[in-house]
Amino acid sequence: MNNNEKDKKSLIDDYKLHITILFISTISLGIGTINIPLINGFNLVLLPIMYSLFLAVLFYIYKPAKWINKSQSKTCAEILLILISPLIVKLAIASGENIDILFNVGPALLLKELGTVGTVIIGLPIALLLGFKREAIGMTSSICREPQLAVLIDKYGFDSDEVKGFFVVYLIGIVLGTIFISILTNILCYLVPLHPYSYALASGIGSTSMNVAAVSSLIALYPALSDKLLALSGLSNMISVVFSIYVYIFISLPLTEKLYEKFHKYFN
Amino acid sequence: MEIDLSFKMVSEWIGILLIFSVMAAIGNYVGYQYPFVESLIGMFILCLISLVGLIVEKLLPFDNIPAIIYISLIGLFVALPWFPLADLIIYYTSKVDLISLTTVLLAYAGVAMGKDLGSFKKVGLRGIIVTFAVIFGTYLGSAVIAHIALAYTGMI
Repeated sequence: MNNNEKDKKSLIDDYKLHITILFISTISLGIGTINIPLINGFNLVLLPIMYSLFLAVLFYIYKPAKWINKSQSKTCAEILLILISPLIVKLAIASGENIDILFNVGPALLLKELGTVGTVIIGLPIALLLGFKREAIGMTSSICREPQLAVLIDKYGFDSDEVKGFFVVYLIGIVLGTIFISILTNILCYLVPLHPYSYALASGIGSTSMNVAAVSSLIALYPALSDKLLALSGLSNMISVVFSIYVYIFISLPLTEKLYEKFHKYFN
Repeated sequence: MEIDLSFKMVSEWIGILLIFSVMAAIGNYVGYQYPFVESLIGMFILCLISLVGLIVEKLLPFDNIPAIIYISLIGLFVALPWFPLADLIIYYTSKVDLISLTTVLLAYAGVAMGKDLGSFKKVGLRGIIVTFAVIFGTYLGSAVIAHIALAYTGMI
């Protein structure tokens, strides 16, 4: 952040922008979480985070507030660099607070975090085949949720190709992820019959909405195990939210970088 | 060694974090009916730790360690059961809901993405395929590893 030139306006001054953001986020939180029951006991869960992202994008496109333009868009990118910090602190505090669960529940919960290696191995070749370049690193190094965003922005900067790639998967994940993962649960339980507990642990992938979608499908398939499945998946999701960032920083992201450097030339 | 840290930079961080604190506390109150003052104190704690992390990154001479590492290590440390203020910190920060924090953050992210919308459109179907592959890979990868670990520890 070497933005200390004298002519540059401070990030704080644009009060109209901040008021607009306050307006968007307060409306979104005011609407709150909405459950839409679909077929087979599957609920489509809509969260305030989705509304605020889409509202903000719509504000930029349709300009109901005339003062939001390209320069505000750039200001927001810089502000984000600072704002991700409190989010990380919040997650870190949750991990410090729950450190004993980690010792008690056994290795499966933690080891399952290494499943993100599967993300890279399956995702990266497909992304490269489809012609993505550096974006592929942001897209396929993780399931692309908030903690990983913070790491990517910090490492590559908001305007980098890696972060653009991340946002592609992030956005599509928000729109289609819940539906996709609930269908996937049904298919996988049929084709790859691992123990339902394993799928319950796997459903905690760090996205609350996807977690809920996956575990509801799982419970529909194994109603007798419902309590245990819910408990395992909730715990697992918490662990994901909290610890996935360390797996990401030290394992998945460096691994994706290495594989990209090694193989991207074969895909051109 | 030159330290890249100015009074102007720090005061800008503080200003942004203050604005963010107020917004998140309002959102918390509207969305989750948490008491406004307690949420605000919780936000101040989160922001104070962030500020310490951001400053430490600039002061320490390790160029390739991002601020986020310091921030997450400090956050983890102050919430450990044997840290004297842990109870207080956990109490007030629990009054800040993760979703309200993220909702404000994503409103900024939405405006920030505005200037790049053109490049999103180009991605289209290819993006959807990669997204599905990513979710599939994570889900199956985690399930296989969880299955092996559960079987190995005798839980299934």
